[in-house]
Amino acid sequence: MSQSQETTSPRAWALRLVGLVLLGYTFFMTFTVPLGPGIEDVRVSRTELTEDGGVYEVEILGHGTHFTTSEPRVFLRRGDNLMSATAVKASNDESLKCRIRLPKFVPAASFDVFVNGKQDGTISYANGFFATGLEAVAKAKFPDNEAILANLEAADLDFHFPFQPNIMESIRNLMLHVPMWFTMFLLMGISFAQSIRTLRVGGDRDGDQRAVSAVKVGLWFGVLGLLTGTLWARFTWGAWWVDDPQLNGAFVTVMVYAGYLVLRGSIQDAKLRSRLSAVYNLFGFCLLVVLLMVLPRFTESLHPGKGGNPAFSSYDLDSALRAAFYPAVLGWMILGTWMYQLQLRIEQTRERIAEAQLTRSNMPLALLFVPQASTSSLETVFMASGKMPVVVGVAAIILAGLGLWWLRTSRTLKRLSEEENTLNGTHNA
Amino acid sequence: MRETWFLFRHFWKADVRAQHSIAGLVLFAIATVYAAYQVVQGRPEPETWNALAWIILLFTAFNGVSRTLEEDRSEVLAYLRTAVQPLHFMLARTLHNVVVLTGLSCLVVFFMGLLLGWAKLDGMRIAGFVGGMALTAVALGTTLTLLALIAARAGAGFGMTAVLGLPLVLPVVLVSTTLGSELMSGVSLADTWHNFAFLGALAAGSGVFGAVLFPYLWRAS
Repeated sequence: MSQSQETTSPRAWALRLVGLVLLGYTFFMTFTVPLGPGIEDVRVSRTELTEDGGVYEVEILGHGTHFTTSEPRVFLRRGDNLMSATAVKASNDESLKCRIRLPKFVPAASFDVFVNGKQDGTISYANGFFATGLEAVAKAKFPDNEAILANLEAADLDFHFPFQPNIMESIRNLMLHVPMWFTMFLLMGISFAQSIRTLRVGGDRDGDQRAVSAVKVGLWFGVLGLLTGTLWARFTWGAWWVDDPQLNGAFVTVMVYAGYLVLRGSIQDAKLRSRLSAVYNLFGFCLLVVLLMVLPRFTESLHPGKGGNPAFSSYDLDSALRAAFYPAVLGWMILGTWMYQLQLRIEQTRERIAEAQLTRSNMPLALLFVPQASTSSLETVFMASGKMPVVVGVAAIILAGLGLWWLRTSRTLKRLSEEENTLNGTHNA
Repeated sequence: MRETWFLFRHFWKADVRAQHSIAGLVLFAIATVYAAYQVVQGRPEPETWNALAWIILLFTAFNGVSRTLEEDRSEVLAYLRTAVQPLHFMLARTLHNVVVLTGLSCLVVFFMGLLLGWAKLDGMRIAGFVGGMALTAVALGTTLTLLALIAARAGAGFGMTAVLGLPLVLPVVLVSTTLGSELMSGVSLADTWHNFAFLGALAAGSGVFGAVLFPYLWRAS
């Protein structure tokens, strides 16, 4: 019995090369394209209340801004009411101080803060300023309006990603975290199709091997998606895990497919195993569609892209994100299918060895756990420089996870092919 | 249809004859409610009441679907394989589970009300809650029947049913707990009917999937 190794066609190698180039491009874009300017925080450092109203010393912290050179102007806004700040003084590029004088009766309790400057254009912070100690009266009006809005400077910026409050630099996760799920769905879809194939011929071995390979690799991507998502959530929502339909759906998906592997591990007979697991796979996939596509639409969600939260759809017009995101998805998907082919080779080799040897091997099952929120020293590290460390952490998790996979896979492949060679050698001799 | 009805009566008779199986389920449900009563010491908050009711129903349902009937002996199965079509077997089995689970759900609600009070439910809302529980039991029955049969076919028992089933019944649990908490917070039946529709759709959908997929489990080898 001579088993020829499956050779990969030049076209497949070309595709893999394209995938690698795309991933290289993705990482390059993710870490080099600058973020647009924005306001990180607005702090009131001193309040002085008099009979006529209040005077507030305000400090504005920017991110990626150029306050020293842009001659910034600051104003408050609520509806039609505008109020300029005086004594604007930039301490450095990302911090400026100004003074706001308000009358006793103000039109609202809180105002959006706007900064306009030469290079950065107009940037804003919603509800950044609270008029504490003053009386909010609906009828009150601020006097000067047109003067402020006249001759505003337009933005003059290079290629950049859009600034979103609170999300800030971690918007780069769009190219790292989101494609994990896209790739997982592609792989689970492959598994679904192969399970149908398995059932149609009543326990097809090839279809079964393909289905389980796709699930194993897809599960790896799913776990990486959960880990990267939980890191991001900790520094965006303040908790490692929140009760949210999108998160529950993701977690349940991973559990369902872990259950698939447990089920496979418990059946000895190969033919029965292929059929039972295919039935479970189809049933599970259909319910997942309900769980992930239908139910979340009827509930509210914090997750970007769900329940009216900003996500890719609102950036559709942003060419910078689009230029980085689409290639990223394609690159990760190509990598995923490549990994799937390697995993498939492992399954096939194992099967051949088992046939020759009549031994069985067991698969390990990775257990998930979500750690508790911890001390604030983490906070200072990860919140620094616009949450850029979150992006680095996410990239590190993905690289470590995939690195681990490739190391394990190449070792397993090598060991299995050696085993098979010695086995064939003894047969031939 | 006649075959399905016959098989269903057959399962039912077997259950009635071997009384210990169904009596064990009833005892489990009541004992769990009683344990909950002992743990919370009296009248719990509405949220706690709601959570307890659904969790107890969930555990009872897992117990209910994964018990072994007399019919699951391999000799009986070997005979049934030659005698009936898989679709009829599946429909009868699902119906049997649905009837048993619905009865158990009513029992659970009754004892919850008796021991733990009705929290903030009143009048029509009690009826709504009982209806929601029954519909949930139907949805759990259609979903878990196939999974329990997979587990039985794999030669594994309750544990495997739980591993395979718990993630997959989550849609049902999410909808029914929402229904429960909405009723608790005073939402009228008319304003929460969409949850009933969801539960019905989930039950119907998983029933159809089960019926389509079961023949692949049925074959002897």
